[in-house]
Amino acid sequence: MKVTIKSWTGVATWRWIANDENCGICRMSFESTCPECALPGDDCPLVWGVCSHCFHMHCIVKWLNLQPLNKQCPMCRQSWKFNIH
Amino acid sequence: MLRAIGKKDRDIFDEVWPDKRKIVLKLLRQDTVSQREWQDLFFGVHFVCLWDEKGAAKIYDCLQQDIVEFIVHAQSQVQAQRGEQALLATYIVEWRKFFTQSNYLPLPFRQLEQSPQVKPASSSSASGASTSASTSNAASCSNQAATRSSSVNPAASSSAASPSGASTSAASATASTSATASTSAAAAAAASNTASSSSKKNPTEDSPVRKLMLDSWNKHIFHDIKHRLQDSAMKIVHAERNGDAYDAQLVVGVRESYVNLSSNAEDKLEIYRENFEMAYLKATAEFYRLKSTEQQQQNGVLAYMKYADAKLREEEVRAKRYLEPSSFSILTYTLVKVLIVDHLNSIIAECPALIRDYETERLNLMFRLMDRVLHGVGVEAMMGDLQRHIMSAGLADMLSASDIITQDSEKYVERLLELFNKFSDLVRNAFNDDPRFLTARDIAFKTVVNDTSVFKMELPTSIANRGVKFTAPESKCPELLANYCDMLLRRTPLSKRLTSEQIDARLRDVLLVLKYVNNKDVFMRYHKVHLTRRLILGTSADSEKEEDIVEWLREVGMPADYVNRLARMFQDIKVSEDLNTQFRTSISRHDAINIKILNAGAWARCSERVSVSLPIELEDYIPDVEEFYKKKHSGRKLQWYHHMSNGTITFVNNFGRYDLDVTTFQMAVLFAWNQRQHDKISYENLRLATELPDPELRRTLWSLVAFPKIKKQILLMEPSAIGSPKDFTENTLFYINQEFAIVKNGKSQRRGKLNLIGRLQLSTERSQQEDNQSIVQLRILRTQEAIIKIMKVRKRMNNAALQGELIDILKNMFLPSKKMIKEQLEWLIEHKYMRRDDDDINMFIYVA
Repeated sequence: MKVTIKSWTGVATWRWIANDENCGICRMSFESTCPECALPGDDCPLVWGVCSHCFHMHCIVKWLNLQPLNKQCPMCRQSWKFNIH
Repeated sequence: MLRAIGKKDRDIFDEVWPDKRKIVLKLLRQDTVSQREWQDLFFGVHFVCLWDEKGAAKIYDCLQQDIVEFIVHAQSQVQAQRGEQALLATYIVEWRKFFTQSNYLPLPFRQLEQSPQVKPASSSSASGASTSASTSNAASCSNQAATRSSSVNPAASSSAASPSGASTSAASATASTSATASTSAAAAAAASNTASSSSKKNPTEDSPVRKLMLDSWNKHIFHDIKHRLQDSAMKIVHAERNGDAYDAQLVVGVRESYVNLSSNAEDKLEIYRENFEMAYLKATAEFYRLKSTEQQQQNGVLAYMKYADAKLREEEVRAKRYLEPSSFSILTYTLVKVLIVDHLNSIIAECPALIRDYETERLNLMFRLMDRVLHGVGVEAMMGDLQRHIMSAGLADMLSASDIITQDSEKYVERLLELFNKFSDLVRNAFNDDPRFLTARDIAFKTVVNDTSVFKMELPTSIANRGVKFTAPESKCPELLANYCDMLLRRTPLSKRLTSEQIDARLRDVLLVLKYVNNKDVFMRYHKVHLTRRLILGTSADSEKEEDIVEWLREVGMPADYVNRLARMFQDIKVSEDLNTQFRTSISRHDAINIKILNAGAWARCSERVSVSLPIELEDYIPDVEEFYKKKHSGRKLQWYHHMSNGTITFVNNFGRYDLDVTTFQMAVLFAWNQRQHDKISYENLRLATELPDPELRRTLWSLVAFPKIKKQILLMEPSAIGSPKDFTENTLFYINQEFAIVKNGKSQRRGKLNLIGRLQLSTERSQQEDNQSIVQLRILRTQEAIIKIMKVRKRMNNAALQGELIDILKNMFLPSKKMIKEQLEWLIEHKYMRRDDDDINMFIYVA
């Protein structure tokens, strides 16, 4: 008797790897969405700054648009730059 | 008739008129009048009016006298007739003659309208006519004199003329005098405007002379013999109704005289309506009052309906001959009253039996009759009967077949649809798909679908931590519908048997039934679970259809966020397919590996993860996949859901080589024997080897030792007499069945494929009760959410209105019970989301 694997379908979900539980702007969990969205996941992504702080993309974009001059990270006040991996 | 008149005036009038009067008389008698005489008359009238100050009035008075005399003569002619028909015939002849003259005679006297004295003359004619109560000429003259002496204007004439019927003469006399006193110049102008506009057709129509002629006829002849006339006409109609010979022209003639007799420009049909129409209606009602009772007693109610229907039509045709169009509706009303409303109860009493026997033709007849009844009393009664019948027949049908349909969702749905189609046909054929009956049908269907007497699922009404739990039974219908849907969409014997069109039609049918289901959330839940299985296992029969039905669900009003989640699931599967292709090209040896990366929010909630020690081959792949995914999507990490993952293994023994579809758990268990094929392994050792939690291991082992419907199981156990997975002990031994083979038609096959997955487990061990509890939990949250949503907008709202809106919002998901609403309101008040008004306990106020 011998058993071998012919094919296999693995099922997984994905989570964000964030250094915090909640978004510093909207205080909602990263696992859920920003207040504007209904469905968590691809539709309401997270973004990271070079300062390593992480927010819902919708939240930080809204925040940056409200800053007239210096675009700063709302957590550490360093000037905000998107961290593109 | 003579009055004090100035001598000079008298001369001119007396000189000229006697000659002209002869011509007038000739005209009245319809004797031949030469062209010269005709012209002389014009000249005479003109001459008198020009030279005699009161000439117009004098001519008018004289003319009146002549007309009256002529009429009295005609009257004696008519009344001399004894027979009904002869009377009518004579009357009609006389009337036609007179009426023709009424179009010509006024022509020469147009001067009367134009001279300064015309207006008084015209008005006096009106008041004279209206005071028909005064029969003597003297009285009428004094009245004219009185009217003329005060300055009268056309408004007075029009207001006085309107109620010219004999019975209202007294009232009109007072009206004329009061109007005379009070009319303003503006009103006079307005009245003359309307008079001129209405007289466009025929120049003589509003001439005072014509009016005089008609009014006099009305007063002197018509008033006296109208009852005889009407009676005679009605006798003819009666004879016609009884099928005897008749002369319809006589009736038509009488009616025409009534219509033309009216001198009232604003309501030409007045005399007709008050006399002829009324008599006709009365005669009709009397005739059918007798006939209908007779018919019903002789031939029974069913035959009577036919009779009533036929007579209604017949009378409509007759009315077109004998009546003015304005009378049709009131005639129909009268007929309906006598023929239907008076027999309503006995007709309606037949309805339940007709529905029971599917007598569509008779029902249709009854419906047409009832539909004529005002306020829909009859129709409502029929609707009630229909609704009761569908409910009782539907439930009886379901109960009689309860043995089969509670087990078999296909049979259930098909039975239900058969029932629906039967009743829909009934509504279409018998009631022409009338919206009122469709509503009654829908209400009844709802009751049948949501009935809990055949089968039910128990839902806890309160959350567990609230102490005692009560259960509210609900129909299992939505669950069965979802199961049926799954059978159609999955690759099953059923879906293979049907063509694409047939499947579409059946899916539509499911949605039709779903429309009547109160608790759609249960359907959604089960549908999603089934869809998840189909997508994970790749067992959809047709992926296009899968997406179609999602759109259909959206069309029938399923909540948008639910539908969006379903759409999202398809998206995930597509994204995963792309990922797989990329993954395979990146590392060539991973052909056998498929990954499905799901969006946690969109798929069924499965919070718990089950640990399992994977076969070594798989264990190696996992880091590769994770690494690959990390490169694709930074900031994300994978969480494996091994209870959903699955695969195909090749099982080789001395008999043959078999491909087995298995879950990953089954795989892990079977791989325990790979190094020691002939060993018997204890439950405890298997647990150590696979690292599966106890309930999962028990279930997995059970699926391998006792998979339903196969002859030879892949695993055997010791002791072999174990009845359920709960009875496994630590020492129960398991070993590979060396004789395992796939058996088909009693023969062992050397090769083959077998699916051991069965129903893919989507969540970890969880009882049905807990599952139901989560439905209730979700309902509670939805209710709270909806209440807050409403209150946020309304700020203040009373209980009844709030419940109404709440049900409106939630009806596409479930029907919230009164109890649940109340509990949630209390909860929200307790937690200071809202409060009750201090003065009104039923008024809620939103607290921000």
